[in-house]
Amino acid sequence: MMERAMEQLNVQLNRLTRSLRRARTVELPEDNETAVYTLMPMVMADQHRSVSELLLNSKFDVNYAFGRVKRSLLHIAANCGSVECLVLLLKRGANPNYQDISGCTPLHLAARNGQKKCMGRLLEYNADVNICNNEGLTAIHWLAVNGRTELLHDLVQHVTNVDVEDAMGQTALHVACQNGHKTTVLCLLDSGADINRPNVSGATPLYFACSHGQRDTAQILLSRGAKYLADKNGITPLDLCVQGGYGETCEILIQHHGRLFQMLIQMTQNDDIKENMLRQVLEHVSQQSDTHYQRILTSLAEVATTNGHKLLSLSSSYEAQMKSLLRIIRIFCHVFRLGPSSPNNGNDMGYNGNKTPRSQVFKPLELLWHSLDEWLVLISTELDRSRKNPSSSSSSSEIASLLLKQREVDPSVSTPKLPSSLLDPQIVMETEVYPDGEDVISMTANRLSAVIQAFYMCCSCQMPQGMTSPRFIEFVCKHDEVLKCFVTRNPKIIFNHFHFLLECPELMSRFMHIIKGQPFKDRCEWFYEHLLAGQPDSDMVHRPVNENDILLIHRDSIFRSSCEMVSKSTNEKLKQGIAVRFHGEEGMGQGVVREWFDILSNEIINPDYGLFTQSADGTTFQPNSNSSVNPDHLNYFRFAGQILGLALYHRQLVNIYFTRSFYKHILGIPVNYQDVASIDPEYAKNLQWILDNDISDLGLELTFSVETDVFGAMEEVPLKPGGTSILVTQDNKAEYVQLVTELRMTRAIQPQINAFLTGFHTFIPPSLIQLFDEYELELLLSGMPEIDVQDWCRNTEYTSGYDPQEPVIRWFWEVVESLTQEERVLLLQFVTGSSRVPHGGFAFLMGGSGLQKFTVAAVPYTSNLLPTSSTCINMLKLPEYPSQEVLRDRLLVALHCGSYGYTMA
Amino acid sequence: MSETYDFLFKFLVIGSAGTGKSCLLHQFIENKFKQDSNHTIGVEFGSRVVNVGGKTVKLQIWDTAGQERFRSVTRSYYRGAAGALLVYDITSRETYNALTNWLTDARTLASPNIVIILCGNKKDLDADREVTFLEASRFAQENELMFLETSALTGENVEEGFLKCARTILNKIDSGELDPERMGSGIQYGDASLRQLRQPRGTTTQNKQQCNC
Repeated sequence: MMERAMEQLNVQLNRLTRSLRRARTVELPEDNETAVYTLMPMVMADQHRSVSELLLNSKFDVNYAFGRVKRSLLHIAANCGSVECLVLLLKRGANPNYQDISGCTPLHLAARNGQKKCMGRLLEYNADVNICNNEGLTAIHWLAVNGRTELLHDLVQHVTNVDVEDAMGQTALHVACQNGHKTTVLCLLDSGADINRPNVSGATPLYFACSHGQRDTAQILLSRGAKYLADKNGITPLDLCVQGGYGETCEILIQHHGRLFQMLIQMTQNDDIKENMLRQVLEHVSQQSDTHYQRILTSLAEVATTNGHKLLSLSSSYEAQMKSLLRIIRIFCHVFRLGPSSPNNGNDMGYNGNKTPRSQVFKPLELLWHSLDEWLVLISTELDRSRKNPSSSSSSSEIASLLLKQREVDPSVSTPKLPSSLLDPQIVMETEVYPDGEDVISMTANRLSAVIQAFYMCCSCQMPQGMTSPRFIEFVCKHDEVLKCFVTRNPKIIFNHFHFLLECPELMSRFMHIIKGQPFKDRCEWFYEHLLAGQPDSDMVHRPVNENDILLIHRDSIFRSSCEMVSKSTNEKLKQGIAVRFHGEEGMGQGVVREWFDILSNEIINPDYGLFTQSADGTTFQPNSNSSVNPDHLNYFRFAGQILGLALYHRQLVNIYFTRSFYKHILGIPVNYQDVASIDPEYAKNLQWILDNDISDLGLELTFSVETDVFGAMEEVPLKPGGTSILVTQDNKAEYVQLVTELRMTRAIQPQINAFLTGFHTFIPPSLIQLFDEYELELLLSGMPEIDVQDWCRNTEYTSGYDPQEPVIRWFWEVVESLTQEERVLLLQFVTGSSRVPHGGFAFLMGGSGLQKFTVAAVPYTSNLLPTSSTCINMLKLPEYPSQEVLRDRLLVALHCGSYGYTMA
Repeated sequence: MSETYDFLFKFLVIGSAGTGKSCLLHQFIENKFKQDSNHTIGVEFGSRVVNVGGKTVKLQIWDTAGQERFRSVTRSYYRGAAGALLVYDITSRETYNALTNWLTDARTLASPNIVIILCGNKKDLDADREVTFLEASRFAQENELMFLETSALTGENVEEGFLKCARTILNKIDSGELDPERMGSGIQYGDASLRQLRQPRGTTTQNKQQCNC
């Protein structure tokens, strides 16, 4: 008894020592679940001796499945590459084909993880390579996914069907192609995989290679004779390449299937395809060789021509065809500008004469330009004809209408069975039966304008940046009358298609009066659209800011430090975005930028710098003619111009209001004598007086000169050459007034204006700012003030027979109430010359000489008469309109285009 | 995604005003008579894919205005047309007399090889006929034109007119008389021709597959 007990104790002791020495249990628990978790870490670490020891004499079921996915230890060994344990388990009877909950065998796991040795051993123990998991994947699928070619080589000999499909009908070849494993693809093909096998949706290996832009794989497949097949939805490998923007893969497809080239070109007509992807592909293909370049462009030109002609067919969809044409032309111009891949050869490719091959690519388009030209000539002829024959033109419009009434006269024309006499061509020719209700111009104007836009794009892409092609200028001049007729009828055409105007001031001036007549909002949109056109995609606005690009500003020397920072940065960076941080502060972002513009603009007009001087009304500013007391003044003016330009560029408002004349200077509009009022109201009145009265018999003895105080000495300055001896007379007094105005307003501050504009124009091109008048420029720069109509109404006076009870006055205020904020500002500007309400409200409105309330004066009504104003005395001259509707209509006309040319009214 | 065809032919429909050119096109494309047909402004466009001699051909048809005032515009569409329907009205001798001018225009502006079919339209108005079948067919023969009398109203011979023209062009391609690759031929290859060209290679691959199995 004792001995047995001792023996047992010894065994236990022995076990204890062994356990302690190995830092683990030395006996497997009897319960499988506990046992398996004891073994699992050892299997994972391939501690086969321990495992073997533990399994010895144990009743553990080696096929025991455990865990969430119900795997056996053999799965674990295969997964981890624990080859010794794997063999051990197999020897102990583990089932090599045991499937876990997802249907995976140990072989699947070994294949997935590339456990070569494990795979080999599993095969020795007759693991079945053809077993599919629940998704239908076999071991070769797993190898193909990861491109384990070497392993595949070993395994594929055991496979009965190399084209075994998963649940989606995908073979190993499909997945290898998708992932671009070249050697794997070759191995599978050599093992007899079906190169054209479609999956359930009809996608072939080539289709997969193309959908992922696997160029080399596509190359292998094509050189082995893969068929070019669409899937069940008709989507082709080429479609996929283009969708993904895979230029290289496209190139391979075209190499093998030459006809796909045309398909690729035709795709430019497809609205569903992303333009940038297609452009990327065409760009790549065009760079393969000069021949490719030529061919792509010539084909694009042909497609564009067909599309342009379709656009000119009145029954086609204007929207769709217009978009299509412009898209093709954009791509065409883009590829053209890239130039051929070898620029040195560009001019010498065996072509004779002065026609370089590059310009040759435009040839197919000549057909379209020819049609365009013929169309415009036709319309011009029709315009002439109806002008000579005014009975057929409509009276409401000065532009001849091509309306024809014959069809109303004889409705039988539209019935199928026609009396033969009516179809006598002579009669038809003479009566020129035109379609009802519509006329040729309104039906074709949009379409022709879109083609004009395309023509401009093609002309420009052959010119250096910023230059307008002489051919195009000639074209516009030739068809001047017709084009003006188009835009007069439908001004939207300017914004939609006549972008060329913005790039060519010469052409712009021809259309300026029409453009200026368009709503402010539309012009604003156009302005920003073109201002930002050169910038990267607007969805990239929130890109991370480079630490070096942050403008670090000192609050206590804001003007100087801002000036320094801005001059250190580049214009391009400042255009992309501004980031400001004040020294010693954390804050960044739009709020800080806004604050910076606000404080800085206040600083610019700080009298201490002497750059700007206050005008007579005390709220507006203009350059100080004596700013040269500061020797650096012109640099500062340039900086001020930059800041204003930058603010406008980024739609930030500044806290400065300039005089009307200074806004005119920014716009390049000549000033007039009324603008003098802002700096010297008394003098302005005197100029007004000269103009209003006959000066012949007054004996003023004025000459074309003025006496000016130049550094303390009086000096006579001629207004024009020899001016001191030219007398001012009744006949030339207008010229005199204009010249003295220019002297006071412009010449005195010319260097300052020029410096300011140099800075301003670095961000805002002069051609673009021209779209606005001085009032609108103020709105753009300084924003829209809030206007309290109640306060306005309370502080308004009436003269010349109006009183607050008068129906016209009641209508007037009702109309003002109904105006938009923007229109109210326009009205205020129209009458007072400024968009701002003084501090304290309308009660403090200033006139030329002190407080001057807003005044409405009656004017006898005649048909179509517009309201006018005298800004010096804040007076609105309101005709006695017969109804509120007429009043509203006339007032709005005056506000929207009245800021132009009303001054002499 | 895109429609499949072997060739694309550019076609013109020309002839004097009021002869029913647009109605012929409408009948051909929509299979019905265009009731409220106005005079065409400029040039209209239509297309249809047809089967001719085992090939699919997309016809890109430019239907021109007959009125004199549009003549310079319509002429600018002629270049590069592969085929044309020259239309006159059998009830109007005037339109018949104008044929020579139209023909000269087409042959000089489009291409000397252009395939033209003469269509005497409004066949349904036989009672008002001013041009006999015989004299028109003689004219056609003298000028090497194909000839049909058609009715856009009933649809008689409309399809035939377009198809006959297309078939002749295909024959000329087959005989080598026309070269589709030449610029301005008015003919383009489509996507389907590619697939057919690839067919032989595809079959060999398949055979190889079968051997493996």
